Amino acid sequence: MSQDDEKWGVAHVHASFNNTIMTVTDLTGSETIAKSSGGTAVKQNRDEASPYAAMQMAESIAEEVKAAGITGLHVRVRGPGGNLQKSPGPGAQATIRALARSGIEIGRIEDVTPIPHDGSRAPKGKGGY
Amino acid sequence: MRIAVTGTPGTGKTTVTELLEDRLADGESPIEDDALEVVHLNEVLEEEELYTAIDPDRESKIADLDALAERLANYEHAVIESHLAHHFEADRVVVLRCEPAQLEQRLLERGEREAKAGENAESEALDVVLAEAVEEHGLESVYEIDTTDRDPEAVASELEAVVAGDREPSAGEVDFVGYLE
Ligand SMILES: Nc1ncnc2c1ncn2[C@@H]1O[C@H](COP(=O)(O)OP(=O)(O)O)[C@@H](O)[C@H]1O
Ligand SMILES: [Mg+2]
Repeated sequence: MSQDDEKWGVAHVHASFNNTIMTVTDLTGSETIAKSSGGTAVKQNRDEASPYAAMQMAESIAEEVKAAGITGLHVRVRGPGGNLQKSPGPGAQATIRALARSGIEIGRIEDVTPIPHDGSRAPKGKGGY
Repeated sequence: MRIAVTGTPGTGKTTVTELLEDRLADGESPIEDDALEVVHLNEVLEEEELYTAIDPDRESKIADLDALAERLANYEHAVIESHLAHHFEADRVVVLRCEPAQLEQRLLERGEREAKAGENAESEALDVVLAEAVEEHGLESVYEIDTTDRDPEAVASELEAVVAGDREPSAGEVDFVGYLE
């Protein structure tokens, strides 16, 4: 495939304690190409944040994204991930692996987890991801 | 007994622990515990300058967690209130929660800037503090209290129930990711 045929998008992965949601946009972030949440991938609420749900979501998203002519995705991960998981948690890692397996090229992976703060905040690596 | 009261800024930690202090002082609390102290950790951090640097983007002091832990060492029977409280030793960790749009509104009404209110609301939507509390203390020590649409008096009573040992641990009972969609 020549460079001219490459088309890149951004996968935004929000991984909370309870759930995972994934949105794919164009590079500017203004156009949404595909969208999925843990609730659509699994039946049980408690499984919404699981790596299994994330993988299911990524597989169906990959099909939509390829149909839209996207060949590569940068990944922006936000959130601590499900129960007792490190950031980016297994949910996010499973998502990235599933996207790659479906033939989508993976570009930059960034962790952009927000930092709770008032007059103070935790140092990086301790809370402040 | 050491109890950490944590939660994203705006969830009502200071309001509710001040209420608890008043109730304890007036003998109006079912806990009836004169020896239980309330520590507002933000005040200690400010007054004793227990931070290492300033985050210029957030206009926020980067806490010196080791110095704070040392400063807290003598508080064996206390309620420690701060969004950093779960980073220290505790017997029970209370995590206050609030639906993110409502949290954002509370922070704006408290006079915070939009960027700060927004980043805290997003943190709350992603369960950042809850996940940290569970990671550091385990599910068996975490007590989640949803403050959405509840007045501070009711939240204070639920906090008292945790202190008294009348509540079971809980975590992940709210799901706020809808705020992000
Ligand atoms: N249960 C509640 N319902 C509505 N507003 C509240 C509640 N608790 C606190 N507030 C308001 O929200 C703002 C944040 O409360 P505060 O106690 O300062 O939170 P924190 O200490 O967790 O940052 C304050 O303006 C306070 O008056
Ligand atoms: Mg406060």
